Amino acid sequence: MVDTFPMDAAIQFLVAIVATISFGVTFRVPARHYLPCGLTGAVGWLVYIVCLQVFAMSAPVATLVAALPLTACARFFAVRHKAPITLFLLCGIFPLVPGAGIYYTAYYFLRNDRALFVNRGVETLKIAVALALGITLVCSIPRKRPHP
Amino acid sequence: MTDRAMELIVCAGQTLLENGGEVFRAQQTMEIMARSLGVEGFHVYVLTNGIFASARGQDGGSVNLVRHVPLTSVHLGRVEAVNELSRELAGGQLDLDGAQQRLARARALEETSPGAERLACMTGSACFAFLFGGTLPEVLVAAAAGLAESLLCQQFGKRRINRIFTDIVAAFLTTMLALCASRVLPALDVNTTTIGALMVLTPGVSLTMGIRDILNADYLSGAIRLLDAVLIAGSLACGVVLGWLAARGLGVLLW
Repeated sequence: MVDTFPMDAAIQFLVAIVATISFGVTFRVPARHYLPCGLTGAVGWLVYIVCLQVFAMSAPVATLVAALPLTACARFFAVRHKAPITLFLLCGIFPLVPGAGIYYTAYYFLRNDRALFVNRGVETLKIAVALALGITLVCSIPRKRPHP
Repeated sequence: MTDRAMELIVCAGQTLLENGGEVFRAQQTMEIMARSLGVEGFHVYVLTNGIFASARGQDGGSVNLVRHVPLTSVHLGRVEAVNELSRELAGGQLDLDGAQQRLARARALEETSPGAERLACMTGSACFAFLFGGTLPEVLVAAAAGLAESLLCQQFGKRRINRIFTDIVAAFLTTMLALCASRVLPALDVNTTTIGALMVLTPGVSLTMGIRDILNADYLSGAIRLLDAVLIAGSLACGVVLGWLAARGLGVLLW
């Protein structure tokens, strides 16, 4: 299991790039930003699975840790391409966003499974808060002024 | 002069907001534009779905503009174009007329072709089925379900059918497809397939951006987004549960 991890991670990285670009297309990102978007999303996802599988962190903590390099990446590309950071951020967070969690929460709610509903709901909320916190943290680091 | 400038500023803010720009970005951009155009006494309050702006007119009266901005689809290309416009305006490279032309051009930026959108939906669904631990059968079925769901969303969108209803039907269809496929391929994990295909529709971004708004102290905007997320999640789950029920009913009838 441990031996196949690097290979596994590489495949996941590539798939995450394609997944993020797919969302970039549905969000109508201009074509020249596809690759930066993909890379932003894939970096976040890679850090996330490494935290989860190698360091055995919980999902919310792993999300928080992954949101930091992800947002840094988005900021880097935003400055380099002179584009708003939203472009890279909105697509890049897609792999980490707790879409599945929200879905399962609502699903268990309708199935009347209270215990699983609360479990999933709390975890989903934690992940979303962790992600938002990570983004806000990196975004609030002041930018160095080029002309002081 | 002030009238035209105000019209331009609010229109730019509206373009940002309805195409997926954040609330504070719209606010910031509008304030920067007002400063660059020399609009005096400019105040603006931005919500997820509305803009309220006022300024002092040249004759001493006040100019007020209110816009209702319903959430439409995300178009980040337009967000970028308006951002560039405001940067050039602040840099003094554009005047009012030039800015108006640029804004009109930004608003007219073309949509992605329906074919490309379908393809993106397909690959996105397949990729997410894989990332959530699916293997080849899940990936293939998710891709098919993604295609079906984007076709459905496009058709319903064209006929302006209610978004909640669209989500319920799309989730229903996806679940039915996955359940039918699992009849043929017993090894198929229906949950992974469904969630992979529905990832395109799940309100994960709304939820995260809502919390981000709240962290930015835009409480009302955050609440609007959170409510939106809850509503969409509920309708997706509703569709899925209906799908399971219908499949069970069909199973009783057929097998």
